[in-house]
Amino acid sequence: MDYFRLLPEGCVSDILSFTSPKDAAISSAVSRGFNSAAESDVIWEKFLPDDYKNIISRYASPWVCSSKKELYFSLCDSPVLIDGGKLSFSLDKKTGKKCFMIAARELAISWGVDTPWYWEWISHPDTRFVEVAHLKAVRWLDIRGTIGTQMLSKRTKYVMYLVFKLVEGHEGLEIANAYVRFVNRMSENEAEERASVVSLVEEKVKRRKRNVKLPHNRGDGWMEIELGRFFNDTGDDGDVEARLMEIMRLHGKGGLIVQGMEFRPE
Amino acid sequence: MASTTETKQKKMLILKSADNDEFEIEESVGVQSETIKNLVEDGFTFVPLPNVYTKALIKIIDYLKKHANKTDSNDEEIKTFDKDFVNTTFDDLFELVSAANYLHISCLMNMLCQTIADRIKDKSPEAVRKIFHINCDYTPEEEAKIRKANAQAFEGQFDESLD
Repeated sequence: MDYFRLLPEGCVSDILSFTSPKDAAISSAVSRGFNSAAESDVIWEKFLPDDYKNIISRYASPWVCSSKKELYFSLCDSPVLIDGGKLSFSLDKKTGKKCFMIAARELAISWGVDTPWYWEWISHPDTRFVEVAHLKAVRWLDIRGTIGTQMLSKRTKYVMYLVFKLVEGHEGLEIANAYVRFVNRMSENEAEERASVVSLVEEKVKRRKRNVKLPHNRGDGWMEIELGRFFNDTGDDGDVEARLMEIMRLHGKGGLIVQGMEFRPE
Repeated sequence: MASTTETKQKKMLILKSADNDEFEIEESVGVQSETIKNLVEDGFTFVPLPNVYTKALIKIIDYLKKHANKTDSNDEEIKTFDKDFVNTTFDDLFELVSAANYLHISCLMNMLCQTIADRIKDKSPEAVRKIFHINCDYTPEEEAKIRKANAQAFEGQFDESLD
């Protein structure tokens, strides 16, 4: 006998809400009864972040979804701009946890403002943001992004990435330092001492150095380099800062396009 | 069936199952159920439960008694009790879900739902049907349509085992 047949439909939804977004979507194919339970807003409200209503109210452009399930999957597939386009927001497909990208304009970039011979601001066909930062030439490379831990999903390991492209003829980007720190807990000096070594250029250092983190292709036309990771426990740790820098070796650097910094679950 | 060994001052309730068995329990134990609590607040001490059969009710009273005596020191004991409680047949589990749902005992409901959900996790629709003896009432065309609509969830591997 079908064990589910005697349950009220609400109970089937209750049970499915204890699975995962993937399981709930798949269960639609089990039977008609499962399908109608699996479409229920009760389930998808539970899979959406607790503060999703607040986030939706910060959308940069108006937006409608007919069901919570549709909302969930559209947030997985296509990031939305919030806070007037300063941030993009999406959900991690597998876990439903929150991902953010800070637009380049909202990053603290040394020599990034009013000195277009160092960094210039350009529009780009591949970006979700209005503009991206183009590094023409600089000796002092220093990019920081900050986000409040209260915005992120709780009890979640986050990894932070710089999202970028290299321009033909780029130079001096083979080596740089990166760190991630809780602003209230670790001083800048301490973080600099603990910084890891990264390269924005894949091929050149591949065989030479072991401990150098290398960039990856994101599959959306952009590259990313991991800047560091941290555990967001209850969201009470204040601000987290991620930083990419090369301020020791002051050779010329150029040919970099920065879209932003992304914070996403491990 | 009623036990009358409890102390005199404690307020008692009588629960009556769908198959007409009566059980006497302390009010403080019974009010963990929102449904019973509402009736008690309206002055009832005799509570008929037309949707809950004796077999499930005995188990649920056991559960309520155990959880009414929750303290900091018996945390492990209750965890073991809960683990044993849900380690039962599907017949029992599903009957308990209906009862817990009707009685509005949220911690019990969550535990039962999680137990059943764990058996659905990572399974293919075919495996879910077999595990729970569900008849597929879709036509092949309808099923293909549903799979297409949820295509991204169908990427990757499934657990086809029936445990």
